[in-house]
Amino acid sequence: MQNLKVDIVVMGSGGAGLTAAVTALDYGASVACFEKRPFQAGSVSNCAIGVTAVKNDPRYQAAAFNSIFNYTNYNGDPGVIKAWINNTWRILPFMDKVGAKYKLRAELPLEKVGKGEAGGFPPQTRIGDAYYMIGRGKGHGSAIVALQSRRYFEAHGGQFFVDTPIVDIFTEGGKVCGVLAKHNKTGEEYKVECKAVIVASGGFGNDREMIKKYIGHNYTDNNCSNGGDVLFNFFPTETMTGDGHKLCWKLGGAKGGMGINGHNLVPGPGIIGNTPWIAYDETRVMEEQPYFWVNKNGERFVDESQSSNHMAMGTSIARQPGKMGYIIYDDDTREYLETHGPDFEYFIFQAEHLHDIKGQFERLAKLGNEHAFMTDTLEELADKAGIDKEGLLKNVARYNYYCDQGRDGDFSKDPKFMRPVRKGPFYALRVFNAGYSTVGGIKVNGRMEVINDDGKPIPGLYSAGDCMVGELWGNPPVGGIGNYSHALGFGFTAADSACEYIGIKEEEL
Amino acid sequence: MKLEIKDYCVRCGMCEDLYPEVFHLNVPEDRIDIKYDEIPPELEEKALGAIADCAVGAIFKK
Repeated sequence: MQNLKVDIVVMGSGGAGLTAAVTALDYGASVACFEKRPFQAGSVSNCAIGVTAVKNDPRYQAAAFNSIFNYTNYNGDPGVIKAWINNTWRILPFMDKVGAKYKLRAELPLEKVGKGEAGGFPPQTRIGDAYYMIGRGKGHGSAIVALQSRRYFEAHGGQFFVDTPIVDIFTEGGKVCGVLAKHNKTGEEYKVECKAVIVASGGFGNDREMIKKYIGHNYTDNNCSNGGDVLFNFFPTETMTGDGHKLCWKLGGAKGGMGINGHNLVPGPGIIGNTPWIAYDETRVMEEQPYFWVNKNGERFVDESQSSNHMAMGTSIARQPGKMGYIIYDDDTREYLETHGPDFEYFIFQAEHLHDIKGQFERLAKLGNEHAFMTDTLEELADKAGIDKEGLLKNVARYNYYCDQGRDGDFSKDPKFMRPVRKGPFYALRVFNAGYSTVGGIKVNGRMEVINDDGKPIPGLYSAGDCMVGELWGNPPVGGIGNYSHALGFGFTAADSACEYIGIKEEEL
Repeated sequence: MKLEIKDYCVRCGMCEDLYPEVFHLNVPEDRIDIKYDEIPPELEEKALGAIADCAVGAIFKK
C-alpha cells in the first residue's frame, strides 16, 4: 500500500480528465491522475479529428446557447450548456500550451450559428468555428492532443498512474477526502488523501447490463452476430464500464440522463476494422447516401437526406422494430454512384466515385457478412434480408411514384435525392444504431459539481466528459453527443470549480 | 529489422487495419502484438509504413 497526498485526484485520462488535470496543475494544485488502461486513453484516444470553438464574444456565445438549448427542446441543463460553450475559446490556447497543432477548417459567421453542415452532427450543433487538430501519420489529431497533454502534465509535476483504476472514493462528514486505486497487474494499492475528485471516467459502452437497464438496447459485437441491436465500435475497449457512475451514485449522486451518441453503421466483417475510418472498402460510403431507407416492415422512417447526420439516423433507426434499418439501391443507382459519384461524402473516408459495387457485395458475402444483400428481384431481397415483402413492394411502388412526380409526399425530401428503385439487381445494407460512446449518467450542475436528488452538490466531487455530458442534452439525452469539444470545455470547468473549492483560485461571479 | 512499440501507444489497432501481416490488436491483453521478432525482409516496407502511419509515433525500429 502506498500513501499519497494531493489536492485533487482525477479519475480517467481521456479528453476531459487530462484537460482538467493540466488546468488544475497550472492553477497551482497538486494533482494525481489515475488511468485504468495502460496508456493515456479515453474514447478520444484516436478518434476525434476536429473541435468546435465558440468565439469569446457574448454575441456568439448567446447565439450558440440559444441554438443548443432549443435543440434540446429546453431539456438540457442551461448551466451545463453555458459551461461548455463559454469555455470552448480556451481550447486553442490549451492546445498551444501543450504543444498540439491545429488549423482553422471553417470560421462561422454570427448569422450562421446553429445552421448548416456540421460534419456528421445535427446542424443546430454547428455553433462555433471548426478546427482540425493536426494528427500524425494516418491517425487523428486527438491522439496527439491527448499524448501532448499527458507529457505536459508529467513534465510539470503531475503524478500519472496507468493500469491503476480508482476503485473507491471516500468521504468524511459528507465531503470527499480520498480515493483508493489498485494496479491492474501488480495489485498494489494506492491510498490517496485529497480535497477533491474529478470523475472523468467516460462511458459505459462495455457494461451490457447498464446498456440494457438504462438505454434499453442489447449490446452486440462488431458483426451483430448475437442478435443484439447496438454496437460500440469506437475501439474495442473492455474498460468502458461506468466505474465513475457507480462510485458517484454510491455516494448519493443522482442519476442523470443516459443515452447513446449514435450513428448509422453496417456491421462487419469486411466493412469496419479497428479504426472505423480506415474503411475496408466503399460500402462505408454507401451507408451515407440519401436515397431509399426502410425498416423491416418495408416502411420509410426518415427524410433520408439526413443520412450524414449521424445522430438523426442513429436515433431514428433505434425507434424501428428490431432497432434496425435497410438502405436499398437499384442497379441504376449503382451505376450513378460509379459514374457520377456519391451525393454525400462520408466526412472521414472520401471517395469521388465508387468502384465495382457488385464486386464489393460479392466480397462481403464471401467474408460471411450477414448484413449485405444483392439479389435479382425485390421479392428475393425481402426474403433474404428479412423485410416484410408486401410492405416493401408497396412502399417501393409509392416511393417510385414520388420519384416520378418529383415530390416526396411522405418526408418532403429534396427532389434531387429521389432516385427510384426499379432495376435489378438490387443491393441492400442492414444498418444499426452504433455508439461512438454512451452519453451521461452522472448528474452535475453548471459548475460540474456532482449533485444529489435534491440538486445539492456533494462537496469535493466533480465530473467531466462522457460520463456527465447527458446533462447537456436533457433526460433522456436523445440525439446527445459527447465529443472532444465537450470534453475540453467541461474539463476546464471542473478544474476551475475544484480549484475554487480548495481555495487556490478565486471564484468568478 | 526488429520493431518495438512504446508504452504510450493508444491501442487503436490502426496498424493492424493497415498492415495485418505485421500487427495484431490483442484486445484481451490490451496491447499490440508484433507478429515477428525479426521482421522478414519482404515485410520491411510494411513495417516502415506502420512507423510513418502510427497516430502517436509509438512504433520504432529497435
